[in-house]
Amino acid sequence: MPTLVGVYDSPQHVAETVTRLRGRGFAKLEVYSPAPFDEVEEAVDPKPSKVRYFTLIGGLLGVVTGYALTIWMSLDWPIVIGGKPYAAIPAYTVIAFELTILFGGVFTLIGLLVIGRLPSVKLDPAYSARFSGDEFGIAVEVPERDVAEVDGLMRSHHAKEVGIVPA
Amino acid sequence: MTPPPPPPAESVAAMIRPTPLLADSQTNRDVMAVFMGRPGLGWLLLLGLCAAGLVTGALTWILQIYLGLGIAGYSHPIFWGVYIVTFVFWVGIAHAGTLISAILLLFRAKWRNAINRSAEAMTIFAVFTAQLFLGIHVGRIWKAYFILPYPNQRALWVNFKSPLLWDTFAISTYTLISLIFLYVGLVPDLAIARDRTTGWRKVLYGTLALGWRGTSRQWKAHTRTVLHLSGLATPLVLSVHSVVSWDFAVAIVPGWHATIFAPYFVAGAIFSGFAMVLTVMIPVRRIFGLEHIITDYHFENMTRFLLLTSVIVGYAYGIEYFIAWYSGVEAEQTSFWLRAFGPYWISAWIMIIFNGVVPHIFWFKRARTHVPTIFVVATLINIGMWFERYVIIITGLSREYNPAVWGHYTPSTAELLIVIGSFSFFSTAFLLFLKLFPVIPISEVKELEIHARSHGHGAAADESEGQRLRRMQEAH
Repeated sequence: MPTLVGVYDSPQHVAETVTRLRGRGFAKLEVYSPAPFDEVEEAVDPKPSKVRYFTLIGGLLGVVTGYALTIWMSLDWPIVIGGKPYAAIPAYTVIAFELTILFGGVFTLIGLLVIGRLPSVKLDPAYSARFSGDEFGIAVEVPERDVAEVDGLMRSHHAKEVGIVPA
Repeated sequence: MTPPPPPPAESVAAMIRPTPLLADSQTNRDVMAVFMGRPGLGWLLLLGLCAAGLVTGALTWILQIYLGLGIAGYSHPIFWGVYIVTFVFWVGIAHAGTLISAILLLFRAKWRNAINRSAEAMTIFAVFTAQLFLGIHVGRIWKAYFILPYPNQRALWVNFKSPLLWDTFAISTYTLISLIFLYVGLVPDLAIARDRTTGWRKVLYGTLALGWRGTSRQWKAHTRTVLHLSGLATPLVLSVHSVVSWDFAVAIVPGWHATIFAPYFVAGAIFSGFAMVLTVMIPVRRIFGLEHIITDYHFENMTRFLLLTSVIVGYAYGIEYFIAWYSGVEAEQTSFWLRAFGPYWISAWIMIIFNGVVPHIFWFKRARTHVPTIFVVATLINIGMWFERYVIIITGLSREYNPAVWGHYTPSTAELLIVIGSFSFFSTAFLLFLKLFPVIPISEVKELEIHARSHGHGAAADESEGQRLRRMQEAH
């Protein structure tokens, strides 16, 4: 199937086009934009990003690790320090807190990589340096027979240019 | 109505993927010009100067490792001299970047986006510089790994009840999270650079950009990631200098053992960090001609932060004295009396005047908008904040409870050379960063621009770019 690429100037026009395309059943589409825009992301996929689960799991893992590490190590070679119990929870909370942040942050980064499908060695064939400039692009896979229709749809929604990337 | 037939595929492919960008974004070009342009004579001279300072510091450190801490003038009762002073100083500087990036992001203060990249980079380099001092100040650097909880033959573990170990965890977490924060923000900008460079730069940016394409899926994950990292980094920023302050406050040394230390240190860190951002960015803006992106409006906002944190720091200075008197503890009272009128009185008054008095000039709008004034005051604050740590550490340690073991301390030449080396390390790293990476977050600035353009905030024809950007930032 060939890929049609429409070039746009404004995020609203991109969002409108995407809504129309999805309404017509062209679901295999990718939007390239120079910056994040809520309306575009909303139109492509209204569900919130799953990065939050990574952050949550990382944070929980961090707090558990923090307490487990400190308590186990203190009990492994028990020495009384400053008259405190071996497992001195207030003191160890500092470590647990820091590890919560550390694991949460690292897992968030992993989440970005997994969900953003990064790193990738090759850029998409439809990608162009213009899309890291000022312009937006919608790349949509369409069957041969629908090319003319989608081309018209994009142009009627203020696409500056529409072109084909041969599959 | 029938749509026009699509043009033949070959010509379209040529149209879609043209290599020369005729109509590239103005912001891309402006920022790329900063780090792609040939290094000027001033930049080269500065780099040479900093490199010389760095080499001097490094050689001094090697000499110190060979001869021992004696050349640093470490002697009873003062084993925390200028090294720890400078360590705390750099940790403090490191707070501005994450504050600007994380906390101001959560408050949706859009004006931050002109300065956040440089502040984040400063954070990284300042944390690295601070960590150097942990290595420098330990007697036997080759045993520095003892601080880490690793399984060893003696089955011994580290002492998690010690604030010094909390510090290890706090500082290393802060380093990693700040690095992730900076890098995540850089990725889309690296992709911009990748698409517009050739040769070794393309390889560098292409590798670091990880194949970023700016798809809606990536942007959505990116926005979320930055938001979550901000949420994590905000308490982290506040915790790091609190933990550093507990290195002192948990000890029973007069002048250190105070519950106000955590907020007092955090406010001081933000204060000194903002001052350092101003001290560095004012010349950078001038040299690279970035007046249309970093406007006086940004500087004015930062001076307001300076004013706020100066008031907090000044209050802390006052309350320390009040509590020393009110506690009725003789050692505390003596310590604070000697702080202002003892052998280190010069340092104490530099600290009080530069941090607590001078910044009050920012009550006046004329001072907040006069760049040379801002530069001078920011530099004075940097000096004052270094002396604040000097006063706390040295006056505390030199005169503890028993007058028989009182001592005196003056920084040695070796210490001063290494401190100069640390400033050179920071500046060298920052100068290289300026010429290698986009110092303005291009995507964030473009987000505002495209938003304004497409939402019809019509620009007046005679409006300068700076005015336009400022209006956009205020509108958000």
